[in-house]
This record gives sequence, structure tokens and C-alpha cells, in this order.
Amino acid sequence: MAIGIVNGFAMAIDTRQSMRWLYAQSRPARGAIVRTTALGWVSGLVVMVQAFFLSRVIHGVFIDARPPEAMAGAFAVLAVAVLLRAALAWLREASAFAAGEAVRAQVRLLLMGRIAARGPAFTRGEQTGALTSVLVEQVEGLQDFYALYLPQLALVVLLPLTIAAAVLSRSWAAGGLLLATAPLIPLFTILVGMGAENISQRHFQALARMSAHFLDVLQGLATLKLFGRSREEAERIARVSAEYRRRTMSVLRVAFLSSAVLEFFASLSIALVAVYLGMSYLGYFSFGMYGQPLTLADGLFILLLAPEFYLPLRELGAHYHARAQALAAADQIRILLGGPLPGMSAGVVRPETTDGIHIQCRGVQVAYDGGRRVALKGVSLDVAPGRCTALIGGSGAGKSTLVFLLLGFVRPHQGEVIVNGVSLADIDAGWWRRQVSWIGQNPVIFHGTIRENLRMGRPDAGEDDVVAAARAAGLLDVAGRLPQGLDTPVGEQGAGLSHGEAQRVALGRVFLKNAPVLILDEPTAGVDPGTARLVMDSIESLRAGRTVLTVTHRLADIHRADRIVVLEEGRVIEAGSPEELMASGGPFQRLAGALRGGGYP
Amino acid sequence: MKAAILKELSPFLAVVPRYLTRLALGALAGLAAAAAAVGLMSLSGWFISAAAAAGLAPATAYLFNFFLPSIGVRIFAILRTAARYAERVVTHDVTFRILEGLRVWFYRRIEPMAPAGLWRFRSGDILNRIIADIEALDNFYLRTLSPAVVALLLSILVFFLLAVFDEWIAVTFWLLFVFAGTGVSTGAAQAAEPAGRLITACSAQLRLHAVEGLQGLAEIIVFGAAGQHQEIVRRSQAELMAGQRRMAHIRGVSAAAMHVLSGAAVLAALYCGCDRVSAGRLDGAALAMIALAVTAAFETVFSLPTAYQFLGRIRAAGLRLLEVVETAPPVSFVGSTRTVPAHFDVAFDDVSFRYRPERPRALKQVSIFVPQGRRIAVVGESGAGKSTLANLLVRFFDPETGSIRIGGADIRSLSEPDLRRIVVVLSQPSHLFSETIRANLLLAKPDAGDAELRGALAAVRLVDFVDRLPDGLDTWVGEAGQLMSAGQARRLAVARTILRDAPVWVLDEPTEGLDRITEAELVDSLMAVTGGRTVLWITHRLAGLERMDGVVVLDQGRVIAYGTHAELCVSNPHYAAWYAQMK
Repeated sequence: MAIGIVNGFAMAIDTRQSMRWLYAQSRPARGAIVRTTALGWVSGLVVMVQAFFLSRVIHGVFIDARPPEAMAGAFAVLAVAVLLRAALAWLREASAFAAGEAVRAQVRLLLMGRIAARGPAFTRGEQTGALTSVLVEQVEGLQDFYALYLPQLALVVLLPLTIAAAVLSRSWAAGGLLLATAPLIPLFTILVGMGAENISQRHFQALARMSAHFLDVLQGLATLKLFGRSREEAERIARVSAEYRRRTMSVLRVAFLSSAVLEFFASLSIALVAVYLGMSYLGYFSFGMYGQPLTLADGLFILLLAPEFYLPLRELGAHYHARAQALAAADQIRILLGGPLPGMSAGVVRPETTDGIHIQCRGVQVAYDGGRRVALKGVSLDVAPGRCTALIGGSGAGKSTLVFLLLGFVRPHQGEVIVNGVSLADIDAGWWRRQVSWIGQNPVIFHGTIRENLRMGRPDAGEDDVVAAARAAGLLDVAGRLPQGLDTPVGEQGAGLSHGEAQRVALGRVFLKNAPVLILDEPTAGVDPGTARLVMDSIESLRAGRTVLTVTHRLADIHRADRIVVLEEGRVIEAGSPEELMASGGPFQRLAGALRGGGYP
Repeated sequence: MKAAILKELSPFLAVVPRYLTRLALGALAGLAAAAAAVGLMSLSGWFISAAAAAGLAPATAYLFNFFLPSIGVRIFAILRTAARYAERVVTHDVTFRILEGLRVWFYRRIEPMAPAGLWRFRSGDILNRIIADIEALDNFYLRTLSPAVVALLLSILVFFLLAVFDEWIAVTFWLLFVFAGTGVSTGAAQAAEPAGRLITACSAQLRLHAVEGLQGLAEIIVFGAAGQHQEIVRRSQAELMAGQRRMAHIRGVSAAAMHVLSGAAVLAALYCGCDRVSAGRLDGAALAMIALAVTAAFETVFSLPTAYQFLGRIRAAGLRLLEVVETAPPVSFVGSTRTVPAHFDVAFDDVSFRYRPERPRALKQVSIFVPQGRRIAVVGESGAGKSTLANLLVRFFDPETGSIRIGGADIRSLSEPDLRRIVVVLSQPSHLFSETIRANLLLAKPDAGDAELRGALAAVRLVDFVDRLPDGLDTWVGEAGQLMSAGQARRLAVARTILRDAPVWVLDEPTEGLDRITEAELVDSLMAVTGGRTVLWITHRLAGLERMDGVVVLDQGRVIAYGTHAELCVSNPHYAAWYAQMK
């Protein structure tokens, strides 16, 4: 029990911070939220007007025996009130949506900016699916909090007070009864222990787990069949579902009590008000009025307003799930927003580049996870212009980290990266990005045409340059086979490009950008021999005057390099020309021998 | 419209009969709650009115029976609370049960046709959609049917209540009520359908651009396209919001229409009633009762337009599910095996096959013979037809022409359990379930003891790893085996294969995705455990080829060479060239 409370306390603190964050995000929506609340309050006033005139009509016709024609004025007001309520309902819906829309737009763009700032070093380590879920679904989950829940929070106070004031003006007993029950409701809800929050949370959790299990079965159906176990699985699905149902229902049964409390107090109060009024009319009670006895109009007015007194609280209960949903979303969004930034934007220097670009690393150390996972230790290397340097090493040796370091996606904790004599930290980040071209292991093709994908290299390039780059990258024959040539839409919804073809597009970007530094990460892995040859030939042709660094496993590529750097567990264990290293009998020679003999393509 | 939808979705009604009592109970509880609400308000109104009139003179006041009405309203209040609670409990419970029933129904329908019939539906996205569709269908009862039934039944009750006092009032009320319930709802649903489709399309676009921005972040930054991409996302988002705004307006308009209709009904009833009272045909105390009864009754229709909007989504979900389920299974098995094979050589006789009529043949007149106890490798570029051999051997599909025999018996003469007992497959990729190591292994042999499990793990050199885990065999392997490395997951799958103890093995790219060292170890393990078994070893990697009893080379669906590795290197220049190039 104690542990439960402690855990509950820890959770409450986090909830409070997420709540604070949610309130902070409401700034662009403030106007809309106020409008929505105001419209709700005005709607309540109209209801009061309706109740007033309705009770007048009934009193007039019944007690005063007046003909309906005499009440024409009241009927007219009632008709107008109906139309007014209708119009207000529509306006309220539109205004509520606008509130949520404003916040969602802001938060989503904020998130995208933050993720971009954290850079590829962050996104590589995360599952795209999880990040996308936060960016798309969780942000959408914020809508109802600002559209429905927040305005209702205000109305829950405003409307009942207004109605209580109106009722009090007629009878302090009736008004007092209403006001007395109001605080009892949240009190009992807390006592029961399970709020509406738990309902949606548990329900949602159970559904999620059942879905995950079902998905697992569907994905593995072929495997189940192969082991002859697929038919029995049906019973297992039924059993698992039944188990989740039993567990969830036992929690829900208790959770539903909280809304039952509200129903009970609301309904009972109305009944008691009716009894009080009836008995007062019959003369059994004579308290609660202000001198004059109550008229029927007064009584009906009070009776019509009694349910309206509890309505805002009921609606709040209906919108409570929005609070839980938004809190869950806020938790996840805050995690994304709160991470560390690599930060490279302070520098302003743009070094001289007349003799090409010379990159050096001096004693560089890079660590992830707040220093716990060291990826590079004391790495020093030299990449000169006009030279091709090959970086080799086993998986986990730190090659990708080194590439990220040079691209500026991570910062060294110790040591520095020096470009033409200037530390990378002092260099203008935008300028450096313009000097570097990069091809990764899995080139990403964006939604658009091949031409648009190529143009990423240099958006303002002329048509001739684009075609020349396409030709150099061997894209013209690829385009030739497609219906719209270079203007064929590609990407997930367009024509699918094979890995080799995608690699050629990446190569085309490089040709177009024409940058002095070229960094390639396993450019020939998993491509057909034709593309591999094309890539290697391209590197040869691009070498002159450029600084080239390639990460590779292929023996053929390694021998073509001017210099080889061997990484192992984050350290440089060997460096030199291919001939030197082959002769030295060190790790490189062993690796080369293994690569040749193991049949690694 | 509703009738047409019910006809389309009738296959799903097969799931319903089991729950009919509970469904009825839920509807009844809902009706009781709504009726109690109407009763509470209308009785209160009548009581107050009658008491006010009686209270004008002490004689009538004294004679007035206040006992019944004052008890009555209290009973209605309690009944309302209890019925509402019961309704929520019963409807949520039956929703879970129907979900259970739908899933089992769906599974039983697709199980015979897996995996061939589900070829189009195997991606994770599509499976997620199937699960969401089943849940949407489940919502039909809770969100659409139950509220509609309760509203309709309540309207009939209130009709009879009003008819006691005046038929005109009753008829007017009922007509306006039904119009609000059906007319406004269907109008709103129809207006919402194109908006709903727009929202779905825009959501997909937004998602697409978000994923691109994440996966291609490095490209975006290196090529300075960050601003451009942000703009694309901003535009996608704006389109989505525009669609959602239209939905909000539709909701607003239908809410306004509801207010108008409900207000009109109350005013009409009131005016009629006043007229009758003036003419002396109606007791004035009934006025308040009538007005309050009509108001309370209309509460039940207010939520119907949203419910009808769900109907569109539910129909779409149902049709999608039916599309999956009504695919005919491509292969059917005989009930019992004619003759159980005595020995286990595998023969492909002149087999041709294509996956779809419009595609080229995946296999063209392929003949391969694997003697009992021998290991034959099948090599070739990706797309050469290698995995198709495996698919045909396990009868996920049947060949167009030719036959496949095990021990001389055509595999079509074997029952499904027997075929599965004889042939075990290490598929590519081999799926691990989101379960414990033990559960994954027991799939192959449910009655295996721990000693047997450890024996299989030892054969693939996983037993030390498992022993070092705090939960040992009961360690959870994560979703699809995520918590293990690729090499470990593969070895676990091999251990599972070993446990099966089948005479014929099919290994489909067993070393795919593994690094060189792990690959070599795995090949050694496989060589050791497959002694004496008939093995079809499918690969495009070189590891272990020289240890095979024979190598079959496939190219674009044809066998172009056959022999031992050594023979082929000498006699077949194509093979020699391929081997050299791979190195």
C-alpha cells in the first residue's frame, strides 16, 4: 500500500509538470478558448431565458387561465431563444476547433524544429515509427484538451454559479440545496478512488495489449502453419482476449462508480427540489422563500434549471478522457523536446579553401548517453585534399560516429576537428555544410520527381547541370526506362527505385552539388555490380582536388585508396598507405586476408 | 441506407447470436435509464403544477396525495442512477466479448489460406489496419446500434405517454423525433463522408512527410533542404486541418439542427397543450409534464449524428475485412494421408509455377533430386526462384505443372499435419513470437522438457547465453525477437528447427544478414545437426558450398547447372565466374 502511494506521488509530480507544459502551450489558443467559454456561458443564459418564459407560459395558461394568444409574446421569445441556442452551438463547435488547431500547429512545428536540431545522431538511435507516432498521433491527441476540456473547466464554475444565483433569487432553500450538493460530488469521486482517468487509461491499455498479441499472431501465421500449430491458436486468442476482458472489467466496474456518484447526486437533488417545491405549494413547508409565497412560474423556473446546474459537470466527465490523452501525449512530447542538443551553430569563421580542404582530427573523444557509451577514443587522423582515405573496421568500431563527427552532427567531448587550420567548432555551420557532400548506406529518396531529388544537391542549378549530373551518375538510362523520364514521381507513392537506382540518385546529388569534401559510407554495399562499378569510377573521377573519405569493406576499394585508417573499438589502431599496411603484418593484413577468404561479397 | 449496410455486413452477424441476451440486456438497461430520466422530469413537473393549483385553496391542499409523487420522483432518481451504471457495465463487457468473437472469427477464416492467400496483406501496416478495422466494427454496437435502439424504443414509450393526454401532441412529437434521429443524422453522415476521406488522405500525406523528415534527416541537413522540408510539412498540416475544420462545421450544423428540432417539438407541444387547456380538454397540470417529457426525450437523440458518422467508417472497415476473408484458399489438403512415405528423398519433377497470372514464371520446368540424407544447395541471384522452391515444397502454393514428391509420394497426397511433420523450414526471415525463449521453442515440440530445449540450444551454441540471462529460458525475447541480436535470433530459430526433429529440412538463406564470423559458426552448427537428414539449402552466399553434396544453380527460374562445387568450378565457366565475382 505504501509503495502504491509513493508511486502515485511520483506519478503526480510528472503529471503536474506535463500539465504545466500543456497550459504553457495554450498561448496561441487563448482567444479561442475564451471565446468558446463565453459562447458556452451565453448559451447558459439563453437557457435561463427559455426556462423563465416557459414557466411564465405554463403559469399563465394553467393558473391564470389566460388563452395561448395572450402569451404570443412569450412564445416569440422562446422561438428566438431556440434559434439563438442553435446558432451558439454551431459557433461554439467552430471556436473550439480553432483553439485546438492553433496549439497543434504550433507544437508540431516546434517538435520538427527540435528534432532537426538534435540531428541525425539522435534520429539514428530511435525507431522511426515511435518518433512518427509522437509527431503525428500524439500531437493530434492534444486537440480535445484545448477544444473541449479547458473551456469546460471554466464553465464548470461559471454556469452553476450563474444558475445558482438565479435560483437563489427565487428560493434560498432550493438554491442552497443545489449549492450544497456541488462540492459533495468531487469529494465522493475522490473517495471512490478511481477517476474517469483510470477508465480510459485501463481500457486503452488493455486494448493495446490485446492488439499487440493479435498482431504478433497474424505476423507469425506462416510460422505457426509451418509448425502445424495454427489451428489451435484460435483458442489461444479467445483465451487471451477473455483474460484481458476479465481484468479490465473488474477495474472498470469500480471506475464507473465515480460517474454513478454524479448521476446519483444530480438526480436525487432534482427529486428533492421537486418534493420541496410541491410540499411548499401544499403548505407543508414555509421556509426558503423571501416573504412572498412561490408562484408556479417560480417553481417551474427552478425545476427547469436544476438539471442545467449539473450539466456542466456531466459534460466535464464526458471530456475527461481528453485530459488523460493530452497528458499522455505531453509526456512523450516533452521527452522529445527535452533532449540534449549537439549544438554547433556558434561559429562564424570561413577558412580559406584555395588549396582544397584539409581535415584533421586531434585526440577526438565522442561519447553517447551522457558520457557512458564511448564511441571514439583519442582518435587522430589526417585527410588531405586530392587524397582518398579509406576507413575500415568491424561493426561497432566507431566508423559511423566518425562520419557524423566530420559532418557536424556530433561534437567531440575532448579534442577537436580542424579544417584548414581552424577548429570546426569555430567554423560557420552553414558554410561547412555547403562544403561537404555525403552518401549514406541507405540513400533516402524523397516524395517528388527524380529531378527534384537531384536538385537537392543544388536547388538553383541550371537544367544543363542537372542533366549532366544525371548522366554522370548513370541516371539517364534508369530514367529512359521510366514513363516520364526524370520527371517520374518517385518515393513511397511513386515508382519504386531499387537500392542501386537510389544510390545513383544520391550520386547525382553529389555531382550536382560539386562540393570539395566527399564522404561516403559503404556506397557499394548491397548494390548490383553495375552500380558498384559506376560508384567507384565516379569516386575516381571526383578525386582530383577533392578531399575524399570512404567507409568500406570491399577489398577492391581499399586498395584504390591513398591512405587507410583502421578503427577498432573507437581507436585508430593502424594508419598508412595500403602497401605499408599490407607489409606490416598488423591488423590490416589479417582483416584483408579474412575479407578475401570469407566469401564476403 | 441502413438496410443496405446491414446486408453488406451480414457475414459479421454470424458472430452476434452468442451475445444476443447480453446485447438485449444492455439495450434494456439503457432504455430504463432514459425512461427513468423522462419519468423524473415529467413527474416532477406534474407534481409541482398540480400541487401549485391545489395549494391555492386549503381544502384541495389538504386532500392532495403527495405521498405517491414524492416517492415516485425519488424512485426515478435512484432507478436512473442504477440503470445507467448497469448499462455502462453491460455494454462495455459485451463490447469486449464481441471483439473476442470477431477476432476468433476472423482468425478462423484466414487461417486456412495463410500465408499464400494473405500475400497482399502481410505488411505490418496492413495488419495494423486489419486490427483497427476489427475494433471499428466492434464499435458498431456500443456507438451506433445501442444508442439508436434506445432512442427509438424511448420515443415509442413517450409517444404512448403523450397519447394519453392528446393524440396530436403525441404524433407531432414522434414525427419530429424520428426526423431528428434519422434525417439529421443521415444528412450529417453523408456530408461527413467526403470530409472523412479527405482527412484520411491528408493524414497519410502528413505521416509520409514526417517519416521522410526523420529517415532522411541527414540528407536534408547535408543538402541544406531543411527550410524547404519544413514548408512541405507545414502545408501538409494546413491541408489536414482544413479537412478537420470542415468536419467541425458539419458537427456544429447538425448540433444546431438538433436544437432547432427539439425546441420546435417542445414549443409545438406546449402551444397545442395550451390550446387544449384553454378549451378545457386538458388538465393544466399536464402542461409542464408534457413539456418536460419532450425535452427529456430529445436528450437521447442529440448524440445520434456522431453515431451515424461512425457508420461510414464501420462500413468501410467491414468491407475491407470481407475482402481479406473472402479470398479463396489457394491450396486444400486431403483429410488423411494415402501412404506415408517410408524414405525421405525429395524430388521436383518438371515443376513450373508463377505467383500471379500476369507475372512471368518464377520456376520453369525445374527438376531437382535430393537423395535421402544428402545436403543440396540451391544458389542463384535474388529473384532466381530459390524461395519459390521452398514455398512449393511446404504447399503454400501448388505448382502449375509437374509434381513434387517425398519418398516417391506426391506431397498432394499427404495430409497437412503429416506434411508439416516431415518437412521443417527455417524461413527467411524466421519469425520469433513476442514470448519467452521457452515458448518460442515449445512451438516446435509442445511436450519437450527443459533438458531437450537446452540440448537444442547447445547445438547452436546458445546455451551459455541463455544460462547467463537472469530469467534463463523464461526470458522474454521482445517484439519479433528484438531483444536479441540478429545472430542470436537466427540461432534460436535454428534451435527451434532442430527440436522439430523432421527428416526433411529446408533452410532459406540461413546466414542472411549475419557477419562473417557468426556466419561461419552457424554453418558449422548446421552441418553438425543435419547429419543424416535431407537438406535443401537455399542461399546466395558462398559460405559452406564446398561442403555440400551437390549444388543446383538457378537463373531466372531455370536450372542451369548441377554438380558438386568442385566439379562446377572446373566444368562450368558461368559458375566459376559467379563464384569469383562474389569473392
